[in-house]
Amino acid sequence: MSGLDGNLLMDRRGFLRGAGGLVLGTAVAGCGPARSTPGPVTVEVWHGQTDTGKKVLDALVADFHRTHPGIRIDLGGGVLADAMLQKITAALASGSFPDIAYVFGSDLASVARSPSVVDVTDLVDAGPGFWAPARAAVTVNGRVRAVPALLDSLAVVCNRELFANAEIPLPAAGWTWADFVDTARKLTDAGSGTFGTAWPATGDEDTVWRLWPMVWDLGGDVIGAGGRGIGFADQGVRALEVVRDLAAAHAVYLDPKTGSEQMYQAFEAGHIGMVATGPWQLPDITDAGIDYAVVPLPSFSRRPITISGPDTWTLFDNGEERVQAARTFLSWLTEPAQDVRWDDGAGSLPLSRRAQQLPAWQEKTAETPDLPVFVDALEHARVRPVHPAYPQVSAAVGTAIVAVLLGRATPADALRDCAAAANAALIIPR
Amino acid sequence: MRTQTTRPARLPFDPWHLLLVPLALVFAAPLVWLLLSSVMSNAEINRFPPALWPSHVDFAGYRYVLDNALFLRWFTNSLIVSAVTVVSNLLFGTLGGYAFARMRFAGSRALLALMVATMAIPFQLTMIPTFLVMKKLGLIDSLGALIVPSLVTPFAVFLLRQFFLSLPRELEEAAWIDGCSRLRVLFTIVLPLSRPALSTVAVLTFLSTWNDLTWPLIAINHDTTYTLQLGLTTFQGQHHTNWAAVMAGNVITVLPVLLAFLGAQKTFIQSVTSSGLKG
Amino acid sequence: MPGLPRPITVTSVQRRRRRETAAAWAYISPAVFIILGLGVVPVAWSLVLSFQVDDLVTPSRWTGLDNYAALAQDPHFAEAIRNTVLYTLLYVPLSILFGFLLAQALNRRIRLVGVYRTLVFVPFVLSATAQGVLFSFILDPQFGAANSALHHLGVSPQGFLTDPAQALLVLVGITLWSGTGFCVVVYLAALQDVPPSLVEAARLDGAGTWRVLRHVTLPAVTPVTLFLVLWQLITSLQVFDLVYVTTKGGPLGSTTVIVYFVWEQAFKNFTAGYGAASAYVLALALVVVVVVLRVLRRPGKALR
Repeated sequence: MSGLDGNLLMDRRGFLRGAGGLVLGTAVAGCGPARSTPGPVTVEVWHGQTDTGKKVLDALVADFHRTHPGIRIDLGGGVLADAMLQKITAALASGSFPDIAYVFGSDLASVARSPSVVDVTDLVDAGPGFWAPARAAVTVNGRVRAVPALLDSLAVVCNRELFANAEIPLPAAGWTWADFVDTARKLTDAGSGTFGTAWPATGDEDTVWRLWPMVWDLGGDVIGAGGRGIGFADQGVRALEVVRDLAAAHAVYLDPKTGSEQMYQAFEAGHIGMVATGPWQLPDITDAGIDYAVVPLPSFSRRPITISGPDTWTLFDNGEERVQAARTFLSWLTEPAQDVRWDDGAGSLPLSRRAQQLPAWQEKTAETPDLPVFVDALEHARVRPVHPAYPQVSAAVGTAIVAVLLGRATPADALRDCAAAANAALIIPR
Repeated sequence: MRTQTTRPARLPFDPWHLLLVPLALVFAAPLVWLLLSSVMSNAEINRFPPALWPSHVDFAGYRYVLDNALFLRWFTNSLIVSAVTVVSNLLFGTLGGYAFARMRFAGSRALLALMVATMAIPFQLTMIPTFLVMKKLGLIDSLGALIVPSLVTPFAVFLLRQFFLSLPRELEEAAWIDGCSRLRVLFTIVLPLSRPALSTVAVLTFLSTWNDLTWPLIAINHDTTYTLQLGLTTFQGQHHTNWAAVMAGNVITVLPVLLAFLGAQKTFIQSVTSSGLKG
Repeated sequence: MPGLPRPITVTSVQRRRRRETAAAWAYISPAVFIILGLGVVPVAWSLVLSFQVDDLVTPSRWTGLDNYAALAQDPHFAEAIRNTVLYTLLYVPLSILFGFLLAQALNRRIRLVGVYRTLVFVPFVLSATAQGVLFSFILDPQFGAANSALHHLGVSPQGFLTDPAQALLVLVGITLWSGTGFCVVVYLAALQDVPPSLVEAARLDGAGTWRVLRHVTLPAVTPVTLFLVLWQLITSLQVFDLVYVTTKGGPLGSTTVIVYFVWEQAFKNFTAGYGAASAYVLALALVVVVVVLRVLRRPGKALR
């Protein structure tokens, strides 16, 4: 600011302006995170995303850098989300871990035992009002140990054309699993290579999580009271009988490869009548030109129930500075404005009702037909228990489902073997 | 070779070739395919039915590998670990082997027996505590965690001891009487005669550290510290649809050992057989 | 410096012995420290761990025999043992048999025999990782050369490593591809040590090939055979790398072997105490087997 009359000496106004600026600047600098070293704080994030998610994250981070110059986000390290649990636990065991990692909700229990995981109850409570399943997924023993990252729900996507060809009306909310099997049977046409529905057949989590809504609907639970045995010994048999009926009618396409891509490719090529999936698949389905409709998941009791598989951003303690910076980043990221952008790119549902109400999301809903079905399903969605033995219970159930799908075992036998393995995993002291 | 007097026609070559050629092909074919597929384009590999011979040489796989993965870094890591381990095994194995062979001290026999017995301990029993020890030392995630447990192996000590025992004592005693220190005798007289044993230890130590996956998998988490084997399997997991690149990475992993072997075949084979026959 | 020999007195002998002991310890201490420190100590530590709950991250706590109780009920543990035993029972005899037969075939002076020998042995120097990655590709049900070749022959595509019924057998095959070379080379060396005069004498006595084999060759290589059985047994019981790289214990647990099970429990499921318990049970079994075989091989021979 030059003096108004070119006088070299500062006049009083100029002096006050300068001093004020100095004070203000110091005050602003003091408001930021207390720094022991000058320069921005680097926050290391293991984001676990594939290319599409990474792109959106890059854009968001670029914006964050503009508005928060004191913090730099490093997205370089880590592995894909599927492999994250082992990576992060190994990192914790070795003492060198990132500040934020993308951890599946079902894996959080194992990770959260580490004292290096930051308790973020206050952060999440101060958030935009997360959906109940999202909050449930990040809560371990009553304390919130992570920030919700991605929310989805399971519903059934139907190929309208195939339904029309088979002259079957589209299912409506409140339909039963018996209806589902029946519809699948009617949609199946061996001659043209059309299947009624599809199911992953590798025994992985994608194979398994589709079964839980059935179990919950029947009053069962993944892990029984007391934690030393499964909670679905009887309900599981009934659920597996649905699977058996599908397989016996040859109405189900079995995807033998991990990642379930083959199954969705077959759906997008018009070979499958209906498939249970999440909102992340809609963009690909639309791109493939399929005229689709989304209906809620069927149940035994006609009551709506589905499963949600939230993923989380877990924070780790690498010192006060970095924790603060990481918290700032995550509360910014989950604000509705950013959330909507993230949801779009990562294929998530809005994490909070406020985000859902934003015009940006409403626009997306308008573009993507039937998206609200997934969102509405969140009201009646349950999440998998946050328990360290869950991965092993899931593996046992996966084996059972695949055995029944391939006709190698009866539901009762399959569940018996599953119970033996799952119970064994549950009694291992942890 | 028995003469075949009743055979109507003689083959222009020994009939054994008829058996050996297909057999040799069985062993060689996968390696040939490794090389060929590393220079095929993915379009060719993904075709159905898949091609069994590349139509043209395409280095896209190698370019992808060098651009998208830290293969050179991993190669260097493996090299450092193997080189240091070989040198330290030669050094400490020589010292220890010589002491057990030529020096008398209380408990030497029992100690040697104990050390040899540790060779029989299965790895699954020691891997968890070794991890915890390395963790306490703060070495996890560094090359030190890979080097320290393999600094000396009982195999090296024992093999060198057996070899030193087989050398005639007279040469050493002459030098000893002349006033040479033990160490000098060892390094100037014994070692030059110990080429076969030393190269056996070097070859086998190099082979086992270069090819090891289990321990690096446990001890290393950050991808900049991976060894070549660990990097290769991780790379395959992440890029498994890009087979040309995966095979290119595999070629890079395999080439050093292959070249070393082809260059020093006799030494390799002798090392392997001597470890076997004397073990 | 040459001069008069030093007079040998009692004290100088004692001093010399002490110096010798001190020198010896200086020479062997790095080896002893590392080998016993990371060999014997972990064995004891594993035992302690097996009575604890330890997830490698939080402090451990005591839990008595709970790990062993859980182990007894774990169908995966039984499966791991079954898979490993099956793998071993297939691999060890086959590798030795093929090794012997190939060595016989290669033990002759024909042109290119050096090339054949090299080709047979080369796979052995490849790491299990490299082999696993290579064969994962060759045996890929969709893009692999194996199914492509079968297709040309009119055979339907196989699952290989993705088929629970085939996966373990395929792994045996891969290990045979690389492990037979070792047996061949060892047998070759042994066969070349068989005195040709013995073979000549037997031939002159009218013995046919089979007789020569049975009464001259095989007995001559018996010590090598026993060594190979022991060696191959130990290495096949410890298989891990190949399983990790190709099937990760799957599909559906059909290739979960002992070391993989222990690794999984400790480093994947983070129940290190449980992993230590399983390692202990299996190590004891291994000790029994090895002791039995050693006794068979060299009855009464003490370590020199």
